[in-house]
Amino acid sequence: MSAGERRRGKVIVCRCEDVTLKDVRHSIALGYADIEEVKRYTGFGTGPCQGKECHGLIASILASEGGRDPASIEPFTARSPISPTPLRLLAGSPDAASDVADDEDG
Amino acid sequence: MGLAGPRPTGARGRVAAIDATSPLPARAEVAIIGAGVMGLSIAYNLAARGLTDVVVFERGYLAEGASGRNGGGVRQQWSTAHNVRLMQESVELCRSFAVELGVNVWFRQGGYLFLARSAPEVARLERNAALQARLGLPTRMLDQDGAREIVPELDPTGILAASFNPSDGILFPWPFLWGYAQRAADMGVKIYTFTGVRSIEREADGGFAVASTAGTVRARRVVAAAGAWSPEVARMVGVELPTYPIRHEICSSEPLKPFLGPMVSELNSGLYFSQSMRGEIVGGVSLPPEVTYSTRSTLRFLTTYARRLCAVVPRLGDVKVLRQWAGAYDMSPDGNPILGCAPEAAEFYLCCGFVGHGFMMAPAVGKHYAEWLTGGARHEIFDRFRIDRLRGGGGAPVGEREDFNIG
Amino acid sequence: MAGNRLPEFDRGKAVSLRCEGEPVRAFAGENIAVALYARGAGVLSRSLKYHRPRSFFCLEGHCGACLMRIGGVPNLRACMEPCAEGLSVEGQNAYPSPDMDVLGAVDWLFPDGMNHHTLMTGSRLLNQVVSKVVRQLSGLGTLPGSPEPATACESPAWDELEVDVLVVGGGPAGLAAAEASAAAGARTVVCDEHDRPGGSLLADPRHGPRDAAGRADAARRAGARALLRTTFIGHYPEDGGVLLLAGPDRLTRVRARQVVYATGGYAQTLLFANNDRPGVMAARAVGRLLVRYGVAPAGRVCLVIGRDADRDQTDALAAALVAAGSEVVTVDERREQILAARGRVWVSALEVAGADGQVRRVPCNMVAVAAPPSPASEGPRQHGCEVDLRPSEGGFAVVADRDGRTSVAGILACGDVCGATTAERAAAAGTRAGRAAAAGAGAR
Repeated sequence: MSAGERRRGKVIVCRCEDVTLKDVRHSIALGYADIEEVKRYTGFGTGPCQGKECHGLIASILASEGGRDPASIEPFTARSPISPTPLRLLAGSPDAASDVADDEDG
Repeated sequence: MGLAGPRPTGARGRVAAIDATSPLPARAEVAIIGAGVMGLSIAYNLAARGLTDVVVFERGYLAEGASGRNGGGVRQQWSTAHNVRLMQESVELCRSFAVELGVNVWFRQGGYLFLARSAPEVARLERNAALQARLGLPTRMLDQDGAREIVPELDPTGILAASFNPSDGILFPWPFLWGYAQRAADMGVKIYTFTGVRSIEREADGGFAVASTAGTVRARRVVAAAGAWSPEVARMVGVELPTYPIRHEICSSEPLKPFLGPMVSELNSGLYFSQSMRGEIVGGVSLPPEVTYSTRSTLRFLTTYARRLCAVVPRLGDVKVLRQWAGAYDMSPDGNPILGCAPEAAEFYLCCGFVGHGFMMAPAVGKHYAEWLTGGARHEIFDRFRIDRLRGGGGAPVGEREDFNIG
Repeated sequence: MAGNRLPEFDRGKAVSLRCEGEPVRAFAGENIAVALYARGAGVLSRSLKYHRPRSFFCLEGHCGACLMRIGGVPNLRACMEPCAEGLSVEGQNAYPSPDMDVLGAVDWLFPDGMNHHTLMTGSRLLNQVVSKVVRQLSGLGTLPGSPEPATACESPAWDELEVDVLVVGGGPAGLAAAEASAAAGARTVVCDEHDRPGGSLLADPRHGPRDAAGRADAARRAGARALLRTTFIGHYPEDGGVLLLAGPDRLTRVRARQVVYATGGYAQTLLFANNDRPGVMAARAVGRLLVRYGVAPAGRVCLVIGRDADRDQTDALAAALVAAGSEVVTVDERREQILAARGRVWVSALEVAGADGQVRRVPCNMVAVAAPPSPASEGPRQHGCEVDLRPSEGGFAVVADRDGRTSVAGILACGDVCGATTAERAAAAGTRAGRAAAAGAGAR
């Protein structure tokens, strides 16, 4: 990073988790370069927006900075709920097991 | 060492923990299959004891297996003395991990609170608490009020008693893998991700030809630390393992300011939940067991979990779930792990069957395995947990059945 | 400087919010973020790690920047919560307030960032201290207060719905798909997470609320049923395949023969220093402020046209802003490098550099960032649909043929979710997909 770059400030790539462009580059330098590894090491995509804003952006960075064909980059797993959902709404479901299960044996 | 040139460096000139450009060496003293917490703990501890000629194979991305999917619980509340002692040791190692390995794991000893809602459950907790107290743990039994003193947000309805050990705790799992991997790599261990092992052939000199997707490594010894996938690996050398995968699901809430001290678990439903260092409530609940490697999440889990959690802590009703995921518990017939070698496969070391609590045991198990493999002491767990016991005896002492396999 | 509410704009009845104890004038047709912006440019929250000041970026519920404690409930998106009389609004993760957070010093203390993985691992004692401090600082909102006994974890019953075609997303593509599907005789339901259908149309001065309402009416007349304030939250393969929708106070489990994902895209940012500063927002958010909510930015807007932005759209936005009384200055990423946003708690200037390396400052009090939206492909990915990373089209686009069929039978996709496109093309694709879905569902 040049002195001018340092003076300017952080380049935020994941807003929810305050992940910077520098963090992503650092993860790759440590050898955690797969998108799932970068996600875990930097924390991008694990905050309240679950990657909505940053997933495509960071995947594109991995392609351009790693000299990789974008077609070779897979997205990370899309996990439910796709939007944050209150527990109380989920608790009312007919899907819930009506009898509490016995705890695991052995 | 077979390196083509200088290794790429990360910050402060460290080597990359995983170097995708480094070619596979032709030989290694030890090949470890599985870069989960067990495999990496063993790799690190071997290297720390001077055995650095180690190659670790991981067929997926780092943390893809159960090591990357668990809730980070670290407890010493067990029903068997050997597990309590092992975990007492592991807890000490967790306490010093950050400084020893240079990566924060956010180990917080906020305790584990088990809730009993029936007389048999109370009796069970009392029996275990007595055993733990004999072994020096500060576990104590609490009544309903006592439980609410520790977690004021608990709904008291139906809670008959609880057991609480304040020295149990929670950690953040992923940094363990980075810490072990980085330090092992610093000492010369080679770790290969996205490199699956296809076959293992026995060589005439007694060693193994481990054929991976990136080439073959000839290793004198092999450690199979592939968690729930160990049967597949063991079969490569003709060892049939009686372990099998059960999917366990888990989910995480949005981040909240800290309010919850311990991990809380209720025996009847298998509900467990705790607040991570990120402030998220992370937890799970028991469902009818399904034998599968699938990590797909179900609606049934999410709703069952929500129902139990809202009943136990009503104030969480307006708290939102952010994501759910799943991982495989590596089940064994008697609830105890399988360690050591099978008689039919010398120098092929098994390390599996931890029934969902392998992560917390890895610091201790990895250390003991390394001690043994470098000519040091052979810990009694390597006798107690030989596979022979599951095949109808054969000289190995019979391990007591662990009946406190929960979250 | 804040926002000017345009005259003669239907924004519902006047209400008064209570924000940090102070009354704030608002309207029932606005969301909290809009009302606070109109009141005066303010910091809504502080970021998780560095306590950087934050205000909304996308204004449509997808970026996590506007989380506030609303009505006693933590971590709610201010841009998705409607204004109501007496509703309490508080900041989170900031002391004493989001505007003046003492922990904002952390950002300043670590100009190069702070690697929390290796922080204070030198000594056991220091490490214990830092662990305790980090725990105290962790999290965003605080636990909600004790619920009233009557409502304690009240769990409303779920709705069940069985349809021929479920259309997820009520923007230009989704409304067209719903209309075409219903017109072809399929039992069609279209859901949208917002309180009004229209999606990106509501943020586009070339279209707007009347246009959106017209298309929604057409879909209804054709026989489609619309579920508003209803978000698709997941596909579960149990029981033959369940699609879960979350409404404001209940969940709906849907079984559908065919699903059309018209989920659009999420507003995306560009890379430059302090790109998260309050006042730096998606161009589409500025469009939504103006077109949907009738609030024009007071002062000067610096419109940043990203390399892959839709220039017709940015032209239209610029013209509309000027017509509404805002001053607009344009910066083109193809000609100048965007360096940094300046301003302590709200943007005051944008620094750019020409090809010659000369740095110039563009004073402004809003930066509108125009970049292609990132395809909202979670749903299709859960079904196993093939996606392609297309950086110039926003991100992971769902691969679909001309009729919207994806690599998974019964799952279709159209519009921005297949790669950033125009509203016209999205609608045309939606029509084709709606017909294909109806045919796939065996409608007459």
